[in-house]
Amino acid sequence: MNVNVVIIGHVDHGKSTLIGRLLYDSDSIAEGRVDEIQKLAEEYKRRFEFAYFIDAFDDELKEERTIDTTGVMFKGKNLYTVTDVPGHKEFIKNMLTGASRADVAVLVVAADEGIQEQTRRHAFLIRMLGLKKLFVVVNKMDVVGYREEVLNEVMSRVSSLLASFDYQNVPFIPGSALEGDNIYRKSGRMPWYRGPTLIEALDSVELPERRERVLRFVVQDNYLVDGQRVVVGRVVSGMLHRGEELVFYPSGVRGKVEQIKVFGGELETAEEGDSIGLVIACQAVRGDVCGPSESPPVVTTGFLGEAVLLEGRLRADDILELRCGTRRVTCRIKEFREKIDSETGEVVKRCPDYISEHEAATVVFETEPLAVEKFAEIPELGRFILIRDNRNIGAGIVLETMA
Amino acid sequence: MELKDLENRSIYIIREAFAEFKKPAVLWSTGKDSTTTLWLCRKAFFGRIPFPVIHIDTGYKFKQMYEFRDNLAREWGLELVVARNEEAINAGVGPHEGKFECCTVLKTQALMKCLEQHRFDALILAIRRDEHGIRAKERYFSPRDRDFKWDYKNQPLEMWDQYQTYAGDEAHTRVHPILHWRELDVWEYVKQEGLPVNPMYFAKDGRRYRSLGCEPCTSPIDSSAGTIDEIVEELKVTKIAERSGRAQDKERAFTMQKLRALGYM
Repeated sequence: MNVNVVIIGHVDHGKSTLIGRLLYDSDSIAEGRVDEIQKLAEEYKRRFEFAYFIDAFDDELKEERTIDTTGVMFKGKNLYTVTDVPGHKEFIKNMLTGASRADVAVLVVAADEGIQEQTRRHAFLIRMLGLKKLFVVVNKMDVVGYREEVLNEVMSRVSSLLASFDYQNVPFIPGSALEGDNIYRKSGRMPWYRGPTLIEALDSVELPERRERVLRFVVQDNYLVDGQRVVVGRVVSGMLHRGEELVFYPSGVRGKVEQIKVFGGELETAEEGDSIGLVIACQAVRGDVCGPSESPPVVTTGFLGEAVLLEGRLRADDILELRCGTRRVTCRIKEFREKIDSETGEVVKRCPDYISEHEAATVVFETEPLAVEKFAEIPELGRFILIRDNRNIGAGIVLETMA
Repeated sequence: MELKDLENRSIYIIREAFAEFKKPAVLWSTGKDSTTTLWLCRKAFFGRIPFPVIHIDTGYKFKQMYEFRDNLAREWGLELVVARNEEAINAGVGPHEGKFECCTVLKTQALMKCLEQHRFDALILAIRRDEHGIRAKERYFSPRDRDFKWDYKNQPLEMWDQYQTYAGDEAHTRVHPILHWRELDVWEYVKQEGLPVNPMYFAKDGRRYRSLGCEPCTSPIDSSAGTIDEIVEELKVTKIAERSGRAQDKERAFTMQKLRALGYM
């Protein structure tokens, strides 16, 4: 099984070190790389750090902090893609880039510092991304003498923080990435702890079975192949069958699937994730979403969303662009309902006139016709990004659609 | 990921690039990764790649790479554009003057001239995260400014399958459809699809090339893997880095970052 894991938490709580440790102890480091890092450390007059396996930019080494997200792969019981994200507030957009790919999050909290600003903000943001599986590593147990009281203290505070973001019964693992305790190898230094190591916890992760969902197919383009028009795109949910009657929105065209085309052949059915071509007697265009005629996608010109802004300022009445699926539309901020502190998740202001960088809000958007779904129902079509001056400046999810 | 999932995502990305940019092109070194990428492009467009295929020719490539290139270009009906920095080649630029300078002049600058001439606004490239620490930091869609600079400290937000698709009027975007593939995945896919590969990848007299580049700066590794199956088996146990035979990566620490910051592939 393939599992995407993102390691989150405050700066200097040991995220990169933890990944370096996982790679090192699982014997996933290429030959010679340890010597290279050793030499680098000498050059920079530092001690050897496991984080150097991950932090590849020279600026990251000089400044001893992670700037951008990294994806590394290693094999345990599952094949893991582990994503490191920066723990600084200024790099939140890089954190979101990394976290948006994950199935599982590991929140790293240093035993000696406990909850810090980015501990809270990262927890808030992964909840918004809809990440359900979460583990906490209470790191740097070596610094606090491997004492059980310290774990209990941190655990009680972090648990109540997580409960406020709807994470219940989250497993806590006391460890030390630096010393290798309970990350890949079981530690003998905390006999009072009987739970799993981090890798055991990850190896036992079960990803939710794909539930049966209604068909949604997103149109990317139209090609002319040997004189035949082919509508290309991806099945984002459900199954698509040859012979089925489909309806496309917002263009409103409909037709029967004559062929499901892939290079060199044809399919009878296509499933979630498949990139395919359809031969169908209608003019579907990029940005359309289709579904079966008995449960078609719903077109909306307004919805309530929750969004986080990553650069600049956004005011009520601002016009910008929004992209959902392959459709890019102009939208207007009709109103901000509530401004949310992305650190605490608390509502800080009702009906504000604007929000600033790194702030979140519940927002009513007015848009050109757009097929969206509630994030809770079909997440693939319930999430969007905000674009201004051709830059991706924010992201959000759809809470409620409005007719 | 299953090969099918890897392939589906790559095809989606290639089609996004084609829909969003006016004049894309794909880079082809003739190696296994970029040949796989060409194949994925063929799959995305049902056989015929609707944009040019650029081969950067430093003049120092192995003879077998040129043969392989010309044969496959014919067989797959590729619109091949060969990018050569003739001026520098005639002036005798080579690795003896320093690998960093050589790569920059014969590869990066050759590509720059090619882009200037053809006005490509997107380049599809076959880099993978697991090849090198610096490539692990890449986005699927990555803007480069008019001087080819990679502003790696300020990369765009790229969530879910939403990419930033505009780099600026005089700039271009690098598109990386196989960023999420591993070396092992590429070989398993080559086998599954029956893709042609350069025979230099297979062991001869106890050595084979694991990564192909220019003749003076690429060395083979010790290996007895003479078939794709044997390569797959070798990769499952090896601890040698894929690019261990590529001299430009190792000249100094961060050479790769510096090369890439200047627009190297």
